Amino acid sequence: MSTDSNVALEIQKQATEAHKRQNRKKSLSIFLFLVPAVIIYLIFILYPIIATFNYSLLDWNGMGEQVFIGLDNFKALFTDPAFWLALRNNMYLVLVSIFVQVPLGLLMALVILSSIRGKRALNVLYFLPYLMSAVAIGLLWVFMFDPAKGPINNVLNMFGFESISWLASNNIAIISVLIVLVWQFAPFYMILFKASMVGIPEELYEAAEIDGANGMQKFLNITFPSLMPTIVTSSILAVVGSLKTFDVFYIMVGGSSGGSTEILGTYMYRQTFVNFNMGYGSAISAVMFVIALASVIIILFSDSQRKKRGDLA
Amino acid sequence: MKLGKKILLYVLAISLLLFTSYPFLYMVSTSFKSMGGFFENPFSVFPKSFTLEQFTSVFEMGLVTYFINSVLITVVSVVLVVFISALASYPLSRMKFRLNRPIFVLFLVGMMIPIHATLIPIFVMSNELGFYDTLLSLLGPYVAFALPISIFIMTQFMSEIPVELEEAAKLDGAGNWMIFSKIMFPNMIPAISTVVIYNFVHIWNEFIFALILIKSPENMTLPIGLQKFYGEFSVNVPGLMAALTLASIPVIAIFIIAQERVVSGLTSGSVKG
Amino acid sequence: MKKLQLAVISFFMMAIVIGLAACGQDEQGAGDQDSQSSQGQEQVELDLWHFDPGAREEVYKEAIQRFEEKNPNVTVNDLLIPNDDYKQRVVVSMSGGNPPDVFTSWGGGWLEEFVDSDQVRDLTDEDIDYDSFVDVALNNSTYDDKVFGLPLGISTYSFYYNKEIFEEHGLEVPETYDEFLNIIEVLKENDIYPLALANQPKWPGAFYLMYFADRLGGEEVFQDAYRRNGGGFDDEAYVQAGEYIQDLVGKDAFNPGFNGVPYDSGQGRQLMYTGDAAMMLMTTGFVNNVRQEFPEFEEKMGVFPFPTIEEGTGDPTNIAAGVSPVWSIAKDTEHPELTLELIKELTSVETAQGYLNKSGTPVAVKGVEVEDEYVTIFTDWINQANSIQFPYDQTLPPELAELHKNTTYELFGESITPEKAADAMEEKAQEILE
Repeated sequence: MSTDSNVALEIQKQATEAHKRQNRKKSLSIFLFLVPAVIIYLIFILYPIIATFNYSLLDWNGMGEQVFIGLDNFKALFTDPAFWLALRNNMYLVLVSIFVQVPLGLLMALVILSSIRGKRALNVLYFLPYLMSAVAIGLLWVFMFDPAKGPINNVLNMFGFESISWLASNNIAIISVLIVLVWQFAPFYMILFKASMVGIPEELYEAAEIDGANGMQKFLNITFPSLMPTIVTSSILAVVGSLKTFDVFYIMVGGSSGGSTEILGTYMYRQTFVNFNMGYGSAISAVMFVIALASVIIILFSDSQRKKRGDLA
Repeated sequence: MKLGKKILLYVLAISLLLFTSYPFLYMVSTSFKSMGGFFENPFSVFPKSFTLEQFTSVFEMGLVTYFINSVLITVVSVVLVVFISALASYPLSRMKFRLNRPIFVLFLVGMMIPIHATLIPIFVMSNELGFYDTLLSLLGPYVAFALPISIFIMTQFMSEIPVELEEAAKLDGAGNWMIFSKIMFPNMIPAISTVVIYNFVHIWNEFIFALILIKSPENMTLPIGLQKFYGEFSVNVPGLMAALTLASIPVIAIFIIAQERVVSGLTSGSVKG
Repeated sequence: MKKLQLAVISFFMMAIVIGLAACGQDEQGAGDQDSQSSQGQEQVELDLWHFDPGAREEVYKEAIQRFEEKNPNVTVNDLLIPNDDYKQRVVVSMSGGNPPDVFTSWGGGWLEEFVDSDQVRDLTDEDIDYDSFVDVALNNSTYDDKVFGLPLGISTYSFYYNKEIFEEHGLEVPETYDEFLNIIEVLKENDIYPLALANQPKWPGAFYLMYFADRLGGEEVFQDAYRRNGGGFDDEAYVQAGEYIQDLVGKDAFNPGFNGVPYDSGQGRQLMYTGDAAMMLMTTGFVNNVRQEFPEFEEKMGVFPFPTIEEGTGDPTNIAAGVSPVWSIAKDTEHPELTLELIKELTSVETAQGYLNKSGTPVAVKGVEVEDEYVTIFTDWINQANSIQFPYDQTLPPELAELHKNTTYELFGESITPEKAADAMEEKAQEILE
């Protein structure tokens, strides 16, 4: 009995030892998998983030004396009408990204997935906008939108519409740039959707066909639910991307319709590098950062809720 | 498919085609115009006279050095990014451990910092590391700023790979590295393709770090080199378009290569490419 | 696992090796310098940053070459960075503690920002012959009676017009604003855009406000508002200037959609080249643009100064002009003597002569010979001017300058009233200038 229990204890001990070893091995491998990314990340991203938060507490033009002023920059920011205007414009951007860019990308992916002829060529041609640099995009679209002789107004005239001063008038200018951003980024979502469509098992479609489902039903019952994770990924990328948008806006309208096309990215840039308000500019960065973080956490949280519901069902 | 539907599909496909590629067509056609021809009719897509002078001047301006630098930094950065982010995504998507979510969110946070806010800290850092004015100074920021989104895409994708594959391998006694390299990595091709394209495009076109961190012409990258087309409050539009046309070729090539397996997967309708 | 460990370890080894190699190089470099300086043959490298491409860059390169011949142990690394990017690059490098030894600017409010931050070397008591510079131009980089930069070029702002169109419709160069308005009417009847304007970058439109205010109220209007001598940016002359602008906009005097047309990419100039538009208010840079882009236009091109406004009190000889480049030295440069010599070479009579010949722009340096047809006219205007008005956006502190450009842009866009624009300016001015 006692020997038995000794043996049992011994086995148990060995088991926990093995378990511990296993655990240690697991922790070690987790550590090794993560460590290259974490180190690069800490140096080049976390440090600048901390520096930005630090600058945001200063009255500083970027070069001269640094004066610690606590939260004054933030207080000023929240009563700054230009900031709220920029934030509102960013919200338009987020909405357009989620509700136009992402669906358009999905539509492009579906066209390429369909039985259309020449889809390999279309695949490349649809991708073209995404490969261009902001400088190229800005320059090209300024010509597309030219008020006197540009091709877009030519098409409008052809159909009997009046010419539009695309980039000039306050409300239209922002719509013009939004069109360009949709044009630029939809192909990226197309790539994302294609990548995840490859993973949908063909058997599902075959089974549905046996059940007599039509194209629309197949899309709604199979494709769409399988794409849900990608839609969530896309939305997060769209939100983060729209909050950080800078270059195409800066090049095309440069916040130039007074404040009406100013977005957070261009406002931050202007305050930091044009107006020499490094502290204030950093406060804008910090707020942009917090807004993006909060939105992403909300999306991730609601996604995990969705998953839980899915598991229960 | 019914004829009506088919027509609808083609109309849709062609309107999308016009929307996406007209500006590109305009860029290519403008690059074949002379300066005078451009100013006579800037908007025409089919120029009256074709000239190759813009392309020859691109080569004469010594943009080749910039081009080589760009290829070098882009390829090295993209390879590092894919490797490092795939490594990091594996435990984040497949293993349960206490710090999993916090680390994931930490990486996500990296996507949210506006690039202009990091310029001064990164400038100071690359001065102190002694990397200032070398291509190496770009490697750190390029890899670091590509990591968050790459890890994010890969983690999301990896967590959709069926668990059965992994469990079967575990029963056969495969370690983590085996599972990662033999099972996860090959199944990740579509995600890797996406990450490669995303990062190649961004790093290839990256302007602001290259502007801040490089000062010697022999170390400059293509986007900085394109400034040669800017005059006093003027741009040599046809010349710039020619350079941009040439600059788009490597990206198109990478896109076709990276998409090859993904698209063939789509075309054949097969499950595991 | 082993493979992974190997991969990770080799990664770190690689990183460390690269790091060490870079540091090693650095130390080696420093060592080299020491050993050379001990032999009294110190090799020096100077960084020089500027923003002028084309003909001007050539002139600077020649000046640098002359300097290097006189100082064989010195290499000057000149770096050209166009406009907006230039500003950002300089701010980051100053902020990050690794600025160029010599840099250029437009003087005025932008340079003052660096002067205030103690980043620029005071040149007042250095061995410089200040009499060889045009006084007004030098004032542009003088703060509290201390000189922080040496000017080279003066770019005047005036109307360029298409002589052919004018002849065809029996028009003559306007002296008064009424004549100018009459020309606009005639051109419009003949379906020609009277004025080409590419106002997306905002400074081209700002020229109109500046000239209107000057012709209406004289040069004191700006000086009193800027110096806070009892004047203000809400002066009656500014409100009126806004009304004049909106009157022109209401008369459809400009090409359509001008507020969305960028200057650099050339659609505005294109209207001039092809005869779609007849006049354009621009800097001397336009002459360069024409010569590079569309030389055929030069024989049709003429210039005239901003017309007199009868109801105004401003002196019609007053001219608006920008000073650039202004050469300055970073305060922390390790080579105070050499950099001083370098900027003296960059503003020598020889350099100025080259600049004038090649860029079609008058200079801020005395003792040059003028040959170019346009430079002769521009130089005469400068010499006869009762006063020279520097552009507001270069003179005012950056934040106020931005507001000035924005409010003027909105005046052109008719999204603000002249009173509101003037009040907004005055409010900000009180905050910043007082």
